Amino acid sequence: MTSSVPGSRCRWLDRREIVVVLRVLLGGWFVYMGLEKALHPVDFLKVVHQYEVVRSVPWVNLVAVVLPGLEVFCGVLLVAGVAVRGAALVLLLLLSAFTALVVQRALALHAGGGLTFCAIRFDCGCGGGEVGICRKLTENAILMWVALYILRMHAVRRNDQDHEEK
Amino acid sequence: MPFAPFFRYSRYLTGGIFAEACGVALAGILLALAANRVSPRGLSLTRDYFPSLAADPGSAPAVGQSSVNPVTARLRERGFQVITGDELLALFRDPRHVREQVVIVDARGDEHYQRGHIPGAFQFDHYRAADFLPVVLPVCRTAEKIAVYCTGGDCEDSEHAVALLVQAGIPRERLWISPGGMAEWSARRNPIETGPRLSGIIQPAAP
Repeated sequence: MTSSVPGSRCRWLDRREIVVVLRVLLGGWFVYMGLEKALHPVDFLKVVHQYEVVRSVPWVNLVAVVLPGLEVFCGVLLVAGVAVRGAALVLLLLLSAFTALVVQRALALHAGGGLTFCAIRFDCGCGGGEVGICRKLTENAILMWVALYILRMHAVRRNDQDHEEK
Repeated sequence: MPFAPFFRYSRYLTGGIFAEACGVALAGILLALAANRVSPRGLSLTRDYFPSLAADPGSAPAVGQSSVNPVTARLRERGFQVITGDELLALFRDPRHVREQVVIVDARGDEHYQRGHIPGAFQFDHYRAADFLPVVLPVCRTAEKIAVYCTGGDCEDSEHAVALLVQAGIPRERLWISPGGMAEWSARRNPIETGPRLSGIIQPAAP
């Protein structure tokens, strides 16, 4: 079955198979990254503490406990194709917040270090250890685009189904 | 208008999506809390994992530290006593070290400790304090001098370990931190023990 979106320029992007593949890839990515953090809770707690956004007990501990679990849960939902719109929206919001925090930290390091922006490397707590800032921002931009795309396609499909039922 | 596509599809973004997202978020949070509760690696929600030293009314403020390295300055500013790499080596060679009157404590996690630590150093991963305090605390209570280290540089684990030992009743005058930590110890090619404490697997000091 092919679903098309009014006004879409890239019709191949509207194919159901593409949506499924991207959904499984995005879900799998978040399951992997979430498990990386959940299996090393102390390391993730240290990173959350370093961001200095939440430092007081119990909030810093709560963030370190909840975020990895939430990522894994949303990833599993995306892979399974359950509550896809809700899971994609939650991941999109998380990615937006993470990206803002990573940029803020990178700018602080850039101001204090004398390195060029793309030469900055640090463990952003995203899973996978130390990473270059430009690579991480590119990665996040792609993930956000995929989440937004999945969200849009599923919202359109649900909207069409609602119209058909009426 | 550049935002026209967004507005064109914005009507699809209503109609229960936000309610669904709230449901997903709530279920995810509850599952994460449940998983943390049953996991052996789970964190305590109420514990302060980053304790700091209470201000010592008897200590004078650190002054004239312009030539001191930033890590040493930071430690002194936070009220910790600091030992240099030479002093740590002297403590290691001190005969009282063998009698456990001088104690060296490694504040890093298992992986780092097993990979290499100062020979004879006790491990005290303060994030899992309950696992280590029964061994470390009695030794520290009888020791005259305790040197604590972690990776070195920006690593703050030794600070939190010392703060926790002070909270547990060890006099702060006996506790010292090595700012260079394991990085400096290795760079000086001092002996390193791998595996558990007193494993006997020791890489000798370089000539």
